[in-house]
Amino acid sequence: MSENTPLLSVKNLTATLATRFETVEAVRGISFDIAKGESLGFVGESGCGKSVTARAVMRLAAEGTAVALGGAVMFKGRDLLKISDQDILDVRGRQIAMVFQDPMSSLNPVMTVGSQLDDILRRHLNLTKKQARVRTLELLNAVGIPNAASRVDDHPHQFSGGQRQRIMIAIAISCDPELLIADEPTTALDVTVQAQILRLLMKLRDERGMSLMLITHDFGVVAGMVERVNVMYRGEIVETGAVDDIFANPQHAYTQSLLAAVPRLERAGELAS
Amino acid sequence: MGRIIFVRCLWALAILFGVSFVAFVLMRALPGDFAEAAAAGLQLDPEVLKQMRVDLGIEKPILEQYVFWLGNALRGDFGNSFSTKAPVLQELWPRFLVTLQLTIMAAGIAMLIGVTTGLLSARVKGAADWIVRVINGLSLAIPNFVVATLIVLCAGLYFPQIQVFGYTPFLENPVANLQSLFLPGLSLALTVSVVISENTRAAVLEVSNQDFVMVARAKGLKPPTVLLNYLVRNALTPVITVTGLQVANLLGGSIVIETIFAIPGMGSYMFDSIVGRDYPVIQAIVLVAAGVVVFVNMLVDIAYARADARVKM
Amino acid sequence: MTAPVPAALEAAAPPRPQRKRGSGPLLLGIGLTMLAIMLVVTIFAPWIVPYDPSATTAASLEGPSAAHWLGTDIIGRDVLSRLIMGGRTTLLITAVSVTIALAGGLLLGLVSGYIGGAVDETIMRLLDVIFAFPVFLLAIAVVAALGPTIPNLILTVAIVYIPSMARVVRGPVLSVKSWDHVEAARSIGVSEWRLVTRHILPIVISPVVVQTSLTLANTIFTVTALSFLGLGPPPPDPNWGGMLSESRQFMELAPLTVLAPAVVIVFATLTFIVIANGLREVLDVGSRR
Repeated sequence: MSENTPLLSVKNLTATLATRFETVEAVRGISFDIAKGESLGFVGESGCGKSVTARAVMRLAAEGTAVALGGAVMFKGRDLLKISDQDILDVRGRQIAMVFQDPMSSLNPVMTVGSQLDDILRRHLNLTKKQARVRTLELLNAVGIPNAASRVDDHPHQFSGGQRQRIMIAIAISCDPELLIADEPTTALDVTVQAQILRLLMKLRDERGMSLMLITHDFGVVAGMVERVNVMYRGEIVETGAVDDIFANPQHAYTQSLLAAVPRLERAGELAS
Repeated sequence: MGRIIFVRCLWALAILFGVSFVAFVLMRALPGDFAEAAAAGLQLDPEVLKQMRVDLGIEKPILEQYVFWLGNALRGDFGNSFSTKAPVLQELWPRFLVTLQLTIMAAGIAMLIGVTTGLLSARVKGAADWIVRVINGLSLAIPNFVVATLIVLCAGLYFPQIQVFGYTPFLENPVANLQSLFLPGLSLALTVSVVISENTRAAVLEVSNQDFVMVARAKGLKPPTVLLNYLVRNALTPVITVTGLQVANLLGGSIVIETIFAIPGMGSYMFDSIVGRDYPVIQAIVLVAAGVVVFVNMLVDIAYARADARVKM
Repeated sequence: MTAPVPAALEAAAPPRPQRKRGSGPLLLGIGLTMLAIMLVVTIFAPWIVPYDPSATTAASLEGPSAAHWLGTDIIGRDVLSRLIMGGRTTLLITAVSVTIALAGGLLLGLVSGYIGGAVDETIMRLLDVIFAFPVFLLAIAVVAALGPTIPNLILTVAIVYIPSMARVVRGPVLSVKSWDHVEAARSIGVSEWRLVTRHILPIVISPVVVQTSLTLANTIFTVTALSFLGLGPPPPDPNWGGMLSESRQFMELAPLTVLAPAVVIVFATLTFIVIANGLREVLDVGSRR
């Protein structure tokens, strides 16, 4: 793989969702690249296809829906849409990992948080139970869970929402993935906690040199986090560019209306200067 | 947690108390009594019948009889059977064990069929789902005594070498014991398995939509791990609850099934004593049956409260 | 957070998703057809039956023939005629007792759920006691005591199914009564009666309809099971459970005398189960997705 091949290169991706009653074309032919160590934002209202795009990269679909994917998702020279079901399992969680929107429902309520970290570590890194547990404690410390050693055997309901999202982040970074997808990682959290979680994500990304695909409906969130942003509307990318440029001079009518909905437009102006 | 268990235990005792009172009054308030049932059409001298009632102590006011019965029952004495004169507990205990074994066996078979088919129809979409739902609809529509009769008919016509009637005690011959209870258990289990199957299907579908299942798949875990640790472990609580609530149905069904398969359990004993108005026996059986139902419901409640505490904050 | 969408973008909207139809209407159609067949046969039974169901018209345990389509029973009565007339009794008991159970359950459930508090507690705790009895045991006890006549059977079965009906009504009432539209209606001074009948009842009606259909199936089961144990309508009037039970002794000689009532019982319960499942999907009740 040459130096300037992007880590992830999505070409003409389409996703058609078939639920029991209806079919919807959720993603309608989008293309984008993410270079190694780069952070790319996706902004759009709910239902615009940004979450489906994120999941399509990992070939994941919501239960009960059949998703037909088209186009190509080139990751380190392989088309993830073409590799076997077995091989995609080795990519998920190992090379590409995801942080989900709602930490309250993302953890299995009947397993301890420790074992939910152990299972991914043992799955991908071939560790013994003991080795996995050591690594689990390191990870919990790294994401800022106080007294990790005494809390590792607690169940999810014993943690606050912010702490649960930290645990979700620990799970996502546990196997040192090259690409981290964060799908609305702060939407379900209190405003004060949001900033902490975003800082944690940035810190971990910079320390570990991960690429980041950040999905949000909030221009305020992408502003400090990523260099480039794609604006999505109804399954298509309607505008793409450097965050600063888009803030200063939005081209597309939809982007303008999205920006108008951000309450702190003056701050965005400062960032743009 | 301890408080919940304590409250539930108190509540269970209160229900048993209520059940014993209602059963006691109901049996005596209904027209007819043991003396008449025993006379069964014979033209006995009214004086003889009266003397019989005095001997049995059933001519006194109902409330007085109840207090007397309750006092003895609390000391573990449930009286003697009117018809055989033997202590009720001594007669009831071995029959209760037979029925208990039959019920447990039926519950086990029902769980096995129900969870398997429920899981199948929830996970394998399309044809499998439909086949399971059609089979479930049919199984639900076939009353257990019809199933039992048809099984007996089939065995009689095509497999005359199979021993379908009767019961072998476990200690005498464990294999024959399980064999003798398998067909009765299956007849009892069929309807209940449908309830379990539909609840398993609903629970699994419910859990499938939870975010943590998507997370588990995003972790790259193997499908069997996702299925067992994430789906089944979460779906099992409501399924166990439902199975527990079916115990009353299994006990009720055992009356007919034991009659058909000639099994010397509590069911046939109960039927005979109800028809013969053998009050002490009925009273004890009602209490035992209600006790089992209440006890299982209590376990289910406690299990549910524990699971709930884990899910909710 | 959703911004107003510029008009120009509307044109690019994907076509509206098409809805596929579920299986509810189909099931309901099948169930109602089965019910119609049963009702027609039952209502016109006296004119349909080829023979007097209680009269000996042929030799004992004859096989099926042109004269006796389903053969004859042990004392030479026509099995088909007995099945048809027996259905009359069974369905009559079922229909009347479920109507009573429905009325009783609706009343108890509404009162309990709507008034709440101590009344609710009392009613529900009493029902708990009834629930602790195996239902079937209760039915046997009452019928055995009162004597197996048709009115007694109706009464017994009605009593047995009131609690479950009441529970099905109470649950939704309890949650519906605090919904906004009820609160709103109450705040503008709508009368209690109107509140219950116009604002609460319509919402709880779907689960009740489904439960009624299931109760019909259960009642057929209970009635036939009681008759099977000899606690059915008194002879010589035919009934399905009794026919099944009587024929068991001779079933190897004349399998049809056992199979015929078995099939008919299953047909009847299946009818109401299919209707219940169809209703459940059409009305969107319960946990099925």
